[in-house]
Amino acid sequence: MNEEQQLRLQAFLDGELPEREARAVAAWVESDPAAADLLVELKAIRQALAGSEPAVSLPESREFFWSRIARDIEAGERRETAAGPAGFRWQHLLWPIGATALCVAVVLLQNPFATTERPVASIAPDADTPIVEAMQPGSDATTYRNESDGTTLVWFSMTDNSRTKPATATF
Amino acid sequence: MSGKDYSSATDDALVKAARRGTLDAFEELVARHRDRIYARAVSMMRNEEDAVDLSQEAWVKGWQRLKQFQFESSFSTWMTRIVINLCLDQLRRQKRIRSESIQEMDDEGVAERQLPVVITNPTERLERNELRARIDVALAQLSESHRTVLVLHEFERMEYKEIARAMECSIGTVMSRLFYARRKMASLLAELRRDQ
Repeated sequence: MNEEQQLRLQAFLDGELPEREARAVAAWVESDPAAADLLVELKAIRQALAGSEPAVSLPESREFFWSRIARDIEAGERRETAAGPAGFRWQHLLWPIGATALCVAVVLLQNPFATTERPVASIAPDADTPIVEAMQPGSDATTYRNESDGTTLVWFSMTDNSRTKPATATF
Repeated sequence: MSGKDYSSATDDALVKAARRGTLDAFEELVARHRDRIYARAVSMMRNEEDAVDLSQEAWVKGWQRLKQFQFESSFSTWMTRIVINLCLDQLRRQKRIRSESIQEMDDEGVAERQLPVVITNPTERLERNELRARIDVALAQLSESHRTVLVLHEFERMEYKEIARAMECSIGTVMSRLFYARRKMASLLAELRRDQ
Protein backbone atom coordinates (compact mmCIF):
# COMPACT_ATOMS: atom_id res chain seq x y z
CA MET A 1 0.00 0.00 0.00
CA ASN A 2 1.53 3.31 -1.00
CA GLU A 3 1.28 6.59 0.90
CA GLU A 4 -1.46 7.97 -1.30
CA GLN A 5 -3.62 4.91 -0.61
CA GLN A 6 -2.95 5.19 3.12
CA LEU A 7 -4.00 8.83 3.18
CA ARG A 8 -7.10 8.06 1.14
CA LEU A 9 -8.02 5.35 3.64
CA GLN A 10 -7.66 7.84 6.46
CA ALA A 11 -9.74 10.46 4.62
CA PHE A 12 -12.39 7.77 4.19
CA LEU A 13 -12.38 7.17 7.96
CA ASP A 14 -12.65 10.90 8.66
CA GLY A 15 -15.53 11.39 6.24
CA GLU A 16 -13.46 13.73 4.09
CA LEU A 17 -14.00 11.93 0.78
CA PRO A 18 -16.72 12.69 -1.76
CA GLU A 19 -19.44 10.03 -1.74
CA ARG A 20 -18.37 8.34 -4.96
CA GLU A 21 -14.74 8.05 -3.85
CA ALA A 22 -15.83 6.83 -0.42
CA ARG A 23 -17.78 3.99 -2.04
CA ALA A 24 -14.70 3.01 -4.03
CA VAL A 25 -12.54 2.94 -0.87
CA ALA A 26 -15.17 0.88 0.98
CA ALA A 27 -15.06 -1.69 -1.81
CA TRP A 28 -11.25 -1.72 -1.71
CA VAL A 29 -11.23 -2.30 2.07
CA GLU A 30 -13.60 -5.24 1.60
CA SER A 31 -11.16 -6.92 -0.75
CA ASP A 32 -7.81 -5.97 0.82
CA PRO A 33 -7.02 -7.38 4.32
CA ALA A 34 -4.03 -5.02 4.78
CA ALA A 35 -6.24 -2.02 4.13
CA ALA A 36 -8.88 -3.46 6.48
CA ASP A 37 -6.29 -3.93 9.26
CA LEU A 38 -4.94 -0.40 8.87
CA LEU A 39 -8.46 0.98 8.95
CA VAL A 40 -9.14 -0.92 12.21
CA GLU A 41 -6.00 0.57 13.78
CA LEU A 42 -6.79 4.11 12.71
CA LYS A 43 -10.37 3.75 13.90
CA ALA A 44 -9.27 2.42 17.31
CA ILE A 45 -6.98 5.41 17.84
CA ARG A 46 -9.64 7.84 16.78
CA GLN A 47 -12.12 6.27 19.19
CA ALA A 48 -9.59 6.21 22.02
CA LEU A 49 -8.82 9.88 21.59
CA ALA A 50 -12.43 10.98 21.31
CA GLY A 51 -13.41 12.38 24.68
CA SER A 52 -10.11 11.34 26.25
CA GLU A 53 -8.37 14.66 26.32
CA PRO A 54 -6.33 14.78 29.51
CA ALA A 55 -8.40 16.64 32.11
CA VAL A 56 -6.64 19.71 33.48
CA SER A 57 -7.82 22.64 35.55
CA LEU A 58 -6.38 26.10 35.64
CA PRO A 59 -4.03 26.23 38.62
CA GLU A 60 -5.28 29.67 39.70
CA SER A 61 -8.30 30.79 41.69
CA ARG A 62 -11.22 32.39 39.89
CA GLU A 63 -10.55 35.74 41.55
CA PHE A 64 -6.82 35.81 40.86
CA PHE A 65 -7.13 34.75 37.22
CA TRP A 66 -9.88 37.29 36.63
CA SER A 67 -7.92 40.08 38.31
CA ARG A 68 -5.12 39.61 35.78
CA ILE A 69 -7.53 39.62 32.86
CA ALA A 70 -9.42 42.69 34.17
CA ARG A 71 -6.12 44.53 34.64
CA ASP A 72 -5.10 43.83 31.02
CA ILE A 73 -8.53 44.78 29.69
CA GLU A 74 -8.43 48.09 31.55
CA ALA A 75 -4.86 48.77 30.43
CA GLY A 76 -5.89 48.11 26.81
CA GLU A 77 -8.83 50.48 27.10
CA ARG A 78 -6.64 53.18 28.63
CA ARG A 79 -4.24 52.82 25.70
CA GLU A 80 -7.13 53.12 23.24
CA THR A 81 -8.43 56.22 24.95
CA ALA A 82 -4.97 57.78 24.95
CA ALA A 83 -4.58 57.01 21.25
CA GLY A 84 -7.62 59.18 20.47
CA PRO A 85 -10.81 58.40 18.56
CA ALA A 86 -11.18 54.92 17.09
CA GLY A 87 -9.09 54.47 14.01
CA PHE A 88 -6.99 57.62 14.58
CA ARG A 89 -3.27 57.02 14.66
CA TRP A 90 -0.43 59.50 14.46
CA GLN A 91 1.02 57.35 11.71
CA HIS A 92 -1.90 58.45 9.56
CA LEU A 93 -0.32 61.91 9.42
CA LEU A 94 2.97 60.64 8.00
CA TRP A 95 1.87 60.83 4.37
CA PRO A 96 0.38 64.34 4.50
CA ILE A 97 3.35 65.65 6.51
CA GLY A 98 5.83 63.97 4.18
CA ALA A 99 4.07 65.31 1.09
CA THR A 100 3.98 68.83 2.54
CA ALA A 101 7.69 68.67 3.41
CA LEU A 102 8.48 67.54 -0.13
CA CYS A 103 6.49 70.43 -1.62
CA VAL A 104 8.26 72.93 0.61
CA ALA A 105 11.64 71.49 -0.38
CA VAL A 106 10.78 71.75 -4.09
CA VAL A 107 9.59 75.35 -3.68
CA LEU A 108 12.76 76.31 -1.82
CA LEU A 109 14.98 74.70 -4.44
CA GLN A 110 13.20 76.54 -7.22
CA ASN A 111 12.71 79.79 -5.27
CA PRO A 112 12.38 82.56 -7.83
CA PHE A 113 13.51 85.05 -5.18
CA ALA A 114 16.72 83.16 -4.53
CA THR A 115 19.74 85.32 -5.17
CA THR A 116 23.19 84.43 -6.30
CA GLU A 117 24.56 87.23 -4.21
CA ARG A 118 26.68 86.52 -1.23
CA PRO A 119 24.64 86.02 1.91
CA VAL A 120 24.59 88.96 4.26
CA ALA A 121 25.41 86.72 7.19
CA SER A 122 25.61 83.06 7.94
CA ILE A 123 25.91 81.19 11.18
CA ALA A 124 28.19 78.23 11.58
CA PRO A 125 26.65 75.14 13.21
CA ASP A 126 29.47 74.50 15.63
CA ALA A 127 32.59 75.99 17.13
CA ASP A 128 34.94 74.18 14.75
CA THR A 129 33.37 75.68 11.66
CA PRO A 130 34.54 79.20 10.84
CA ILE A 131 31.84 81.87 10.77
CA VAL A 132 31.79 83.76 7.51
CA GLU A 133 30.05 87.09 7.41
CA ALA A 134 30.03 90.22 5.36
CA MET A 135 30.61 93.35 7.39
CA GLN A 136 27.87 95.20 5.58
CA PRO A 137 25.64 94.33 2.67
CA GLY A 138 27.34 95.41 -0.49
CA SER A 139 30.62 96.11 1.27
CA ASP A 140 33.90 94.61 0.12
CA ALA A 141 34.97 93.43 3.55
CA THR A 142 34.45 89.84 4.63
CA THR A 143 35.18 88.40 8.05
CA TYR A 144 36.24 84.82 8.76
CA ARG A 145 36.06 83.97 12.45
CA ASN A 146 36.99 80.64 13.98
CA GLU A 147 35.69 80.36 17.54
CA SER A 148 37.67 77.21 18.27
CA ASP A 149 41.04 78.90 18.03
CA GLY A 150 39.87 82.50 18.50
CA THR A 151 41.14 83.66 15.13
CA THR A 152 39.44 86.36 13.10
CA LEU A 153 40.46 87.21 9.58
CA VAL A 154 39.09 90.20 7.71
CA TRP A 155 39.40 90.45 3.95
CA PHE A 156 39.18 93.80 2.18
CA SER A 157 38.65 93.80 -1.54
CA MET A 158 40.42 96.60 -3.32
CA THR A 159 38.47 97.05 -6.46
CA ASP A 160 40.62 99.83 -7.85
CA ASN A 161 43.48 97.47 -8.64
CA SER A 162 41.39 94.23 -8.73
CA ARG A 163 43.31 92.66 -5.88
CA THR A 164 42.22 91.42 -2.55
CA LYS A 165 44.38 91.98 0.50
CA PRO A 166 43.95 90.14 3.74
CA ALA A 167 44.12 91.92 7.07
CA THR A 168 43.84 90.40 10.48
CA ALA A 169 42.29 91.81 13.59
CA THR A 170 41.99 90.39 17.02
CA PHE A 171 38.84 90.83 19.07
CA MET B 1 -19.59 46.84 37.43
CA SER B 2 -23.25 46.28 38.06
CA GLY B 3 -23.08 43.74 40.89
CA LYS B 4 -25.84 41.71 39.21
CA ASP B 5 -25.82 37.91 39.64
CA TYR B 6 -25.12 36.39 36.24
CA SER B 7 -24.66 32.78 37.34
CA SER B 8 -27.97 31.62 35.88
CA ALA B 9 -27.74 33.56 32.61
CA THR B 10 -27.08 31.76 29.33
CA ASP B 11 -23.79 32.26 27.50
CA ASP B 12 -25.53 34.22 24.77
CA ALA B 13 -27.12 36.56 27.30
CA LEU B 14 -23.76 37.04 28.96
CA VAL B 15 -22.10 37.81 25.65
CA LYS B 16 -24.76 40.40 24.87
CA ALA B 17 -24.32 42.01 28.29
CA ALA B 18 -20.54 41.95 27.93
CA ARG B 19 -20.83 43.63 24.53
CA ARG B 20 -22.59 46.49 26.27
CA GLY B 21 -19.49 46.82 28.43
CA THR B 22 -20.57 44.82 31.49
CA LEU B 23 -17.37 43.31 32.84
CA ASP B 24 -19.26 41.22 35.42
CA ALA B 25 -21.00 39.33 32.62
CA PHE B 26 -17.67 38.66 30.96
CA GLU B 27 -16.20 37.51 34.25
CA GLU B 28 -18.94 34.89 34.47
CA LEU B 29 -18.05 33.66 30.97
CA VAL B 30 -14.39 33.41 31.98
CA ALA B 31 -15.31 31.43 35.10
CA ARG B 32 -17.44 28.99 33.08
CA HIS B 33 -14.99 28.26 30.29
CA ARG B 34 -11.54 29.01 31.66
CA ASP B 35 -10.66 25.34 32.26
CA ARG B 36 -11.53 24.35 28.72
CA ILE B 37 -9.51 27.18 27.23
CA TYR B 38 -6.60 26.38 29.50
CA ALA B 39 -6.80 22.67 28.68
CA ARG B 40 -6.56 23.41 24.97
CA ALA B 41 -3.52 25.60 25.56
CA VAL B 42 -1.90 22.88 27.69
CA SER B 43 -2.48 20.19 25.07
CA MET B 44 -0.86 22.36 22.42
CA MET B 45 1.97 23.93 24.39
CA ARG B 46 2.78 21.11 26.86
CA ASN B 47 3.83 23.79 29.28
CA GLU B 48 1.68 25.02 32.18
CA GLU B 49 3.19 28.49 32.41
CA ASP B 50 2.79 29.19 28.69
CA ALA B 51 -0.73 27.78 28.84
CA VAL B 52 -1.78 30.09 31.69
CA ASP B 53 -0.32 33.15 29.94
CA LEU B 54 -1.84 32.28 26.58
CA SER B 55 -5.26 31.50 27.99
CA GLN B 56 -5.20 34.82 29.84
CA GLU B 57 -4.22 36.59 26.61
CA ALA B 58 -7.03 34.76 24.81
CA TRP B 59 -9.60 36.10 27.27
CA VAL B 60 -8.35 39.66 26.83
CA LYS B 61 -8.56 39.27 23.04
CA GLY B 62 -12.00 37.72 23.44
CA TRP B 63 -13.21 40.83 25.26
CA GLN B 64 -11.68 43.12 22.64
CA ARG B 65 -13.25 41.16 19.76
CA LEU B 66 -16.65 40.43 21.29
CA LYS B 67 -18.37 42.43 18.57
CA GLN B 68 -16.97 39.99 15.99
CA PHE B 69 -18.71 37.03 17.63
CA GLN B 70 -21.61 36.19 15.33
CA PHE B 71 -23.33 33.49 17.47
CA GLU B 72 -22.66 31.00 14.64
CA SER B 73 -20.88 28.66 17.04
CA SER B 74 -20.95 28.36 20.80
CA PHE B 75 -19.06 31.02 22.70
CA SER B 76 -16.66 28.42 24.11
CA THR B 77 -15.85 27.13 20.60
CA TRP B 78 -15.18 30.70 19.46
CA MET B 79 -12.92 31.30 22.46
CA THR B 80 -11.14 28.00 21.86
CA ARG B 81 -10.30 29.09 18.31
CA ILE B 82 -8.79 32.27 19.70
CA VAL B 83 -6.53 30.39 22.10
CA ILE B 84 -5.59 27.89 19.37
CA ASN B 85 -4.46 30.74 17.12
CA LEU B 86 -2.46 32.27 19.94
CA CYS B 87 -0.80 28.92 20.64
CA LEU B 88 0.05 28.45 16.96
CA ASP B 89 1.54 31.95 16.84
CA GLN B 90 3.58 31.19 19.93
CA LEU B 91 4.79 27.88 18.51
CA ARG B 92 5.80 29.64 15.33
CA ARG B 93 7.64 32.26 17.33
CA GLN B 94 9.48 29.59 19.18
CA LYS B 95 10.40 28.19 15.79
CA ARG B 96 9.48 24.78 16.95
CA ILE B 97 7.27 23.81 14.04
CA ARG B 98 9.43 25.44 11.37
CA SER B 99 12.71 24.23 12.77
CA GLU B 100 11.71 20.73 11.86
CA SER B 101 13.31 20.43 8.48
CA ILE B 102 11.62 18.81 5.53
CA GLN B 103 14.21 16.05 5.69
CA GLU B 104 13.37 15.43 9.32
CA MET B 105 9.68 15.28 8.51
CA ASP B 106 10.32 12.82 5.69
CA ASP B 107 12.46 10.64 7.90
CA GLU B 108 9.79 10.65 10.56
CA GLY B 109 7.18 9.71 8.00
CA VAL B 110 9.28 6.83 6.75
CA ALA B 111 9.61 5.47 10.29
CA GLU B 112 5.85 5.57 10.90
CA ARG B 113 5.08 4.03 7.53
CA GLN B 114 7.17 1.02 8.46
CA LEU B 115 5.47 0.44 11.80
CA PRO B 116 3.54 -2.83 11.96
CA VAL B 117 -0.21 -2.40 12.13
CA VAL B 118 -1.47 -2.68 15.72
CA ILE B 119 -4.14 -5.35 15.47
CA THR B 120 -5.11 -5.55 19.14
CA ASN B 121 -6.76 -2.39 20.36
CA PRO B 122 -4.18 -1.00 22.82
CA THR B 123 -6.81 0.93 24.74
CA GLU B 124 -9.38 -1.81 25.11
CA ARG B 125 -10.89 -2.26 28.61
CA LEU B 126 -8.92 0.62 30.06
CA GLU B 127 -10.58 2.84 32.65
CA ARG B 128 -11.25 6.35 31.35
CA ASN B 129 -8.71 7.92 33.71
CA GLU B 130 -6.06 5.35 32.82
CA LEU B 131 -6.76 5.89 29.15
CA ARG B 132 -6.42 9.65 29.57
CA ALA B 133 -3.14 9.26 31.42
CA ARG B 134 -1.70 7.02 28.71
CA ILE B 135 -2.86 9.31 25.97
CA ASP B 136 -1.19 12.19 27.78
CA VAL B 137 2.09 10.28 27.97
CA ALA B 138 1.90 9.32 24.30
CA LEU B 139 0.98 12.84 23.20
CA ALA B 140 4.04 14.19 24.97
CA GLN B 141 6.22 11.98 22.79
CA LEU B 142 4.90 13.25 19.50
CA SER B 143 6.60 16.05 17.58
CA GLU B 144 5.01 19.53 17.91
CA SER B 145 3.53 19.48 14.44
CA HIS B 146 2.10 15.96 14.74
CA ARG B 147 0.63 16.62 18.17
CA THR B 148 -0.91 19.90 17.02
CA VAL B 149 -2.66 18.26 14.06
CA LEU B 150 -3.91 15.43 16.27
CA VAL B 151 -5.22 17.80 18.94
CA LEU B 152 -7.00 19.99 16.40
CA HIS B 153 -8.55 17.04 14.60
CA GLU B 154 -9.39 14.66 17.43
CA PHE B 155 -10.07 16.99 20.33
CA GLU B 156 -11.26 20.09 18.52
CA ARG B 157 -13.03 18.17 15.71
CA MET B 158 -11.65 20.50 13.07
CA GLU B 159 -11.78 19.48 9.40
CA TYR B 160 -8.65 19.09 7.28
CA LYS B 161 -9.14 22.43 5.54
CA GLU B 162 -9.70 24.27 8.84
CA ILE B 163 -6.50 22.81 10.27
CA ALA B 164 -4.60 23.68 7.09
CA ARG B 165 -5.79 27.28 7.36
CA ALA B 166 -4.90 27.53 11.04
CA MET B 167 -1.47 25.96 10.60
CA GLU B 168 -0.78 27.76 7.32
CA CYS B 169 0.04 24.57 5.44
CA SER B 170 -1.53 22.46 2.69
CA ILE B 171 -4.33 19.95 3.22
CA GLY B 172 -1.92 17.27 2.00
CA THR B 173 0.49 18.16 4.79
CA VAL B 174 -2.33 17.99 7.34
CA MET B 175 -3.36 14.53 6.08
CA SER B 176 0.18 13.29 6.14
CA ARG B 177 0.91 14.62 9.64
CA LEU B 178 -2.37 13.29 10.98
CA PHE B 179 -1.69 9.85 9.54
CA TYR B 180 1.78 9.62 11.03
CA ALA B 181 0.57 11.03 14.34
CA ARG B 182 -2.12 8.34 14.58
CA ARG B 183 0.27 5.58 13.65
CA LYS B 184 2.77 6.77 16.21
CA MET B 185 0.04 7.02 18.84
CA ALA B 186 -1.05 3.44 18.10
CA SER B 187 2.51 2.25 18.48
CA LEU B 188 3.13 4.24 21.69
CA LEU B 189 -0.11 3.07 23.29
CA ALA B 190 0.69 -0.54 22.36
CA GLU B 191 4.12 -0.12 23.98
CA LEU B 192 2.57 1.29 27.13
CA ARG B 193 0.21 -1.69 27.29
CA ARG B 194 3.10 -4.12 26.89
CA ASP B 195 5.10 -2.34 29.60
CA GLN B 196 2.23 -2.61 32.05
